[in-house]
Amino acid sequence: MKKFYVIGIGIICTLFFSAQEVFAMHISEGILPWNWAAFWFAIAIPFVAYGLYRLKKLSNIDLSFKPLVGLMAAVVFIISCMPLPVPTAGTCSHPCGTGISGILVGPFISILITAVALLIQALFLAHGGLSTWGADIVSMGVMGSFAGYLTFRGLRALKANLWIAGFFAGLLADWATYFTTSVELASGIRGTSPFLPLFWKILIAFIPTQLPLGILEGAMTAGIVVLLYKKRPDLLVKLGVVNIKNPGENKKNKMKSILFILLALNILLPLSFAFAEEKTKWGGIDESIVEKYAEEHGRPAREPLINTDQGDLLLFVFLLGGAVGGFVAGYSWRRLIEQKPKDNEHADIF
Amino acid sequence: MQIFSEQIRKEHILAKVDARVKLAVTLALLIMILSYRGNVFPLIVLFLNLILCIKMKIPIKVILLRFSEPLFIASMIVILKFFFAGGLREGLMIASRILGAVSVVITYGFSTSFNEIVAGLSWFKVPKSFIEILMFAYRYIFMLLEDAMVIYYAQKNRLGYSGIRRGLGSFGTLTGSLILKAFEHSQNITTAMIQRGYDGNIPIPKPKPFKVAEIFISFLFIVVMGVIWKI
Repeated sequence: MKKFYVIGIGIICTLFFSAQEVFAMHISEGILPWNWAAFWFAIAIPFVAYGLYRLKKLSNIDLSFKPLVGLMAAVVFIISCMPLPVPTAGTCSHPCGTGISGILVGPFISILITAVALLIQALFLAHGGLSTWGADIVSMGVMGSFAGYLTFRGLRALKANLWIAGFFAGLLADWATYFTTSVELASGIRGTSPFLPLFWKILIAFIPTQLPLGILEGAMTAGIVVLLYKKRPDLLVKLGVVNIKNPGENKKNKMKSILFILLALNILLPLSFAFAEEKTKWGGIDESIVEKYAEEHGRPAREPLINTDQGDLLLFVFLLGGAVGGFVAGYSWRRLIEQKPKDNEHADIF
Repeated sequence: MQIFSEQIRKEHILAKVDARVKLAVTLALLIMILSYRGNVFPLIVLFLNLILCIKMKIPIKVILLRFSEPLFIASMIVILKFFFAGGLREGLMIASRILGAVSVVITYGFSTSFNEIVAGLSWFKVPKSFIEILMFAYRYIFMLLEDAMVIYYAQKNRLGYSGIRRGLGSFGTLTGSLILKAFEHSQNITTAMIQRGYDGNIPIPKPKPFKVAEIFISFLFIVVMGVIWKI
């Protein structure tokens, strides 16, 4: 009898976890209320508009650029419809494809490509939706493309090889897409419930499929970049993905890439903290350890010479420091970015 | 290859209505569904659209296939809301909204051809570059899908999908090959188009003139649905 129950439970678990297609990437039609749908459209439109501007500018130089972008949109459409078996979850899911398109054609054109692919999927496959088109563009197009592009450029500037750079670009593009989708879903469907608990629950629900899928998409992106480099390196040079001709120019790109990564971190980190509803005050090491033991041994801390813990004085000091640093960086911009001349006699002395 | 709704479209009166009028009705219904606080209106819209699809002789299998993803997502949302946040009522409200909204878009996709949609978008002053990319993408999806199927069957015949690891490697090669083909085709297509007078602009199909009867009936329909929404 016990054996019967074990086999029965095993069959039920197998049926429950048996391979089924999980279309978790696009937000389905009707999920978001109209105000949130409009909000995400407002975020997406400037990016798409700039993508169209870039497309017009580049296609005036090269007539084959528009057909290429159209074909890339078709490729992204096909990639995002292909089911990829996820071994750990026992399901199938779909890669985004925006990591590779961000690497090849740049983030803004990639956003345009994503918008086109999403529109065709929404109209003819009921995959995604018209009201959620804006939200899907923001998650898959904006966040996916920028995460993939910035990661690839940053790692290449740090002399990572193509496979490593491509892998992390695909991985972070996928994870950035699902992170943003979780934010959009949680904000749209929470109703009167608090945002953060629902956000974490949705993110955790995505993890079994999207964590391994991100790794698979990373491997796929890396494989594509390496394959393109082996078969058609001229294409990668033409698109500016690799720079074989002028190794010296890597230093300029290195500085730009480091600055991009720092900028991205400066935007992303505060945003992640901004979602925290409860800010618990954690004491620093100075207070919890150093001052505590100092007081126990009869050496309490003295008042600082300039006590910045008065109102907004500390913030003002930081602002002043940032402004001074910004002016110095701006004044010295050319010295930071341009290559130093090889002939030392003619080098500028700073 | 019949993968798109519009290829399954049969001759029906709804298929002959102007695409712009249908788009306006679709958007109006979507706004009403998304702003409704309840279950009744979206379910009425779902019921009407299902009847329309059946009348258009769309195979039931295709309708169920289109609804499979939204149904799965709707059920997940009901479970999420019931066990974690908001309650069953709110979950059912969102689920009915999903199904109602999806049914509207599906009916629009079934009853309107791609060329009509493109013509309608150009009339609504959607940027020309966007429409050109849309046309290129739609045209070459089928071409790339054929290439993908050829590569896939070649890989499958050579046991390329005999295990998870090998399958994933084959999948990566397939996607890489698709991108390579995209690049090669773009060059060939541009050369062919330039030889035929391409100067960077593609002629966009123009929509037919409006029929007053269609506009009047659609307006009446929106008003009736608006009254039901209000109730």
